[in-house]
Amino acid sequence: MRRAVWLFAAAWPCVAQAKQIPAPDKTAQGDLAITIYQNGQSLVQDVRTLDLTAGRTRQEFADVSAKIRPETVTLAGPGIGIVEQNFDYDLLTPYKLMEKAVGSVVTTVRTNPATGAETREQARVLSANGGIVLQIGQRIEVLRDDGLPVRVIFDKVPENLRARPTLSVTLQVAGGGRVPATLSYLTPGLGWTSDYVMLFDEAKSAIDMQGWITLTNNTGTTYTNAAVTLVAGAPSGAAAFGRLNDTTIDTPGTETSNRERLGDYVFYPLGRRTTIANAQQKQVSFLDVKGAAARKTYEWTNGWLGADSDPRSAATVLKFSTSKNGGLGDQLPSGTIRVYMRDRKGEPQFIGESGVDAAPMGSAMSLRTGEAFDVKGAATVVERKKLSARRWKTTMRYDFTSARAEAVSVDFAQTGLWGDVRIVEQSLTGERVSADRMEWKVPVPANGKASVTVVFDTRY
Amino acid sequence: MLARIALGLAALFAAAPAMAQTLVVSDKPDAVAVTLYRDGARSGPIGQGWPGGYALITETRTIALPAGASVIRFVGVSQGMMPETAIVTGLPRGVGEKNRDARLLGPATLVDAYLKRRVTVRRTNRATGKVTESDAVIESGPEGGVLLTSDAGVEALGCSGLPEGLRYPGVPADLSAKPTLSVTSDSAAAQTVTVQLSYLAQGFDWSANYVAQLGERDTLDLFGWMTVVNGGSQGFADARTSAVAGKLNKGRAARLPVGPAPALRLQCWPLGTTSMAGPPPAPDAVSAEDIGSFEIVVTGNRVRGMLQRAPAPPPPPAPVMMAEQEELGDLKLYRIPEPVTVAALATKQVALLHRESVKVARLYRGSFSPFPYNDGEARPPSRPTEIVLRAENRTSEGLGLPLPAGKLALFGDRGGQPVLIGESSLADRAVGDEVELFPGTSSDVRYTVIGRPASRRRQAFRIEVSNAHDGPVTFEVPIPYAVADASAELVLRKGVKTWRVLVPANGTASLDIALKRER
Repeated sequence: MRRAVWLFAAAWPCVAQAKQIPAPDKTAQGDLAITIYQNGQSLVQDVRTLDLTAGRTRQEFADVSAKIRPETVTLAGPGIGIVEQNFDYDLLTPYKLMEKAVGSVVTTVRTNPATGAETREQARVLSANGGIVLQIGQRIEVLRDDGLPVRVIFDKVPENLRARPTLSVTLQVAGGGRVPATLSYLTPGLGWTSDYVMLFDEAKSAIDMQGWITLTNNTGTTYTNAAVTLVAGAPSGAAAFGRLNDTTIDTPGTETSNRERLGDYVFYPLGRRTTIANAQQKQVSFLDVKGAAARKTYEWTNGWLGADSDPRSAATVLKFSTSKNGGLGDQLPSGTIRVYMRDRKGEPQFIGESGVDAAPMGSAMSLRTGEAFDVKGAATVVERKKLSARRWKTTMRYDFTSARAEAVSVDFAQTGLWGDVRIVEQSLTGERVSADRMEWKVPVPANGKASVTVVFDTRY
Repeated sequence: MLARIALGLAALFAAAPAMAQTLVVSDKPDAVAVTLYRDGARSGPIGQGWPGGYALITETRTIALPAGASVIRFVGVSQGMMPETAIVTGLPRGVGEKNRDARLLGPATLVDAYLKRRVTVRRTNRATGKVTESDAVIESGPEGGVLLTSDAGVEALGCSGLPEGLRYPGVPADLSAKPTLSVTSDSAAAQTVTVQLSYLAQGFDWSANYVAQLGERDTLDLFGWMTVVNGGSQGFADARTSAVAGKLNKGRAARLPVGPAPALRLQCWPLGTTSMAGPPPAPDAVSAEDIGSFEIVVTGNRVRGMLQRAPAPPPPPAPVMMAEQEELGDLKLYRIPEPVTVAALATKQVALLHRESVKVARLYRGSFSPFPYNDGEARPPSRPTEIVLRAENRTSEGLGLPLPAGKLALFGDRGGQPVLIGESSLADRAVGDEVELFPGTSSDVRYTVIGRPASRRRQAFRIEVSNAHDGPVTFEVPIPYAVADASAELVLRKGVKTWRVLVPANGTASLDIALKRER
């Protein structure tokens, strides 16, 4: 069951007994193939060679996932017919063992505390309620009533009690011999996501991006030497929940990557077989792009025609593409992008992270790393005038400040326009991108200020 | 040489014995750099307990890499390491895969690793001291107790009352003392390489803490500390330390991978005795199962509650070492010029900035809302004003540098002795921003808002302000409503109409104002 690498291989004492008792690094698993989806379900296929005799026989399958969904198990092989499948989860503990021993005979060994002499007796277990009542010969006594040491030795472990939940299958075998049998089942507890490392070079307006698949195994079982395939795409319920996706797809891409796909699923087979240990988080590289183009902008959004008591920072936005031409040249499975930038000494420093939805190849992306310390904006209601019972004229002024040493451009958006708000006057020409939203590109000089005044005609 | 090659091991890839991998253990880093990031959700000072910020830790390690495939195990990484953020550079052929194993070496995980395997049971005779060792196979465990099978039969461990214990032939290599990051790599020839391991780790935080001394003629001596907190159990000696100010996007920290509990709880069958019997047994009395069983509890928990809040910083001495500020994209990076030790469960303070004469304007502020609740009263009660110290973050005003958010303690001078005037918190302020401090309220400068007879189109108010100081003071009240008429000129401040008046020494001032009723 446990695959282990031995620091003290030479210390292992009894080679002769290795036949009946498996070595700690032995596993009952055969040729493993694991397909891991993004909704927390995984398909495990395990080809084991069974040594079978003809007729009806019962086989136990050790080292399957501890979280196996027994109803999804199938076993197939030449000349094998399945009589029944059992999944036993009555766990073997000292108490269970004693309970099952009620009515049967055990051996007690009493040690004399003064002399150390041992007395062996046969005892019948009468009950195991709160304490153990024993019948020894004609006398009835409670186990260790005097507090002195007494060993209890049981003859055997009863059937159906297991150290771990165990899958067992009763087979009807046509011809005996060594038969390759394929065991397949679904299990929760294995999952994957992707983590991206992006190094942004502001001077060159370029990014280096590495993608890592992050695999987690909480099934309680180690999968030894498995061929692993990861499937991107949402079977059901795979969308990240409760996370803020600060990376948006501005324009969805229309290019097809050369990754293996089936319908809307994309497959990421791992290059070589690997062992996924229990309670392990494993990362494998799947993307490495150097020098893709990226540029930095600022975004500042005003939600409705309201004022700010304090200036608000603009968001720092990195724009890049997943296109083959001038971009990352691959689709991105959903995950987290972490952005780094080199400091004055050339060491990479973390400047923010952002969740990203699965993006097709060719998409234009915006990644928000955080707020800009030095670029801020504030909205002011200069005047609000009633034109008629249902119409208002609102004059808004937007002040932008920058404490940066170079001129910047702020993508400024006013939302909440509902479609019935009209622009009467504007000091800078903007674009009505939708009924609800108007956008302006505001140039802010180095260490300077810029203002935009807009007059809205609103209906209420 | 900080790396050693452990004894040869194969079997990581059982089906491909040709790809046998050598285990390389890197004990500790040669050099380490720590960059701290603030807890974005925290508004006040850093509290006690597990800090909510994080740090980027960059370790430089020297590794003797053998020829061929190898597994490099990094020991001594931070407790709160987020394994998905690990980046390893400097390996000749890059990194094959990265593994973070959370299974820790402990009594229970040993039983788990040796389930259905052969161990030695050691019993000591209490009377004679004679030690008997016998072979046994672990039949079940560690949950619910441990059962052993020997030649004699099946027995439960720790239920007989005899001193007995298990002995194992070795430590499984996939169990480690601490959560460990290992990477696979390979190399054409044996060589010594310098690798960089960097990762984000939870359990760190930092904040600015300001001490301001109010001097003559309304100037401030502003001194800032950088307070660094490491809540983890791993310290970093002689680390190149820096801190980043600004708001970064950072998702909720993912749960750290946890392995099975390493503590072993040996449980037995019920061990009640005649003397314990009695009517009726309390349901929650000492559980009979627990008597006679013993527990080995091995805990790897961080010692909680050891973190003390940073003490109120003393008035500043002349700083010897001051953090240097540089730009990092749209963030501010503060670098401590010399390597310092970021110890486990400790806070550290280093001078962040110092400005000697910052010009501040002292004024008193009231608030106005157009609801004449006092219609029936002769005169509503007067209210104390908020004291405001206002500065411009400009070089010409004696400031002009980015100010990271933090708590500020304001001291005055009383015959050469500093006295605490008040405490105020400060948000992130860029160069050119206005900086306002609110050290407290004043009972000497008070104001009253009195509702006056109104009409259908207008609401009328009178604002009166009184000054008990022997000097004139500035009073300000913002009026964010449509003003029809006012007896004094209103100024526009941050887009809001504001009444600003110089109240004479021991005098009063008043404003009559009418608001348009919007209907």
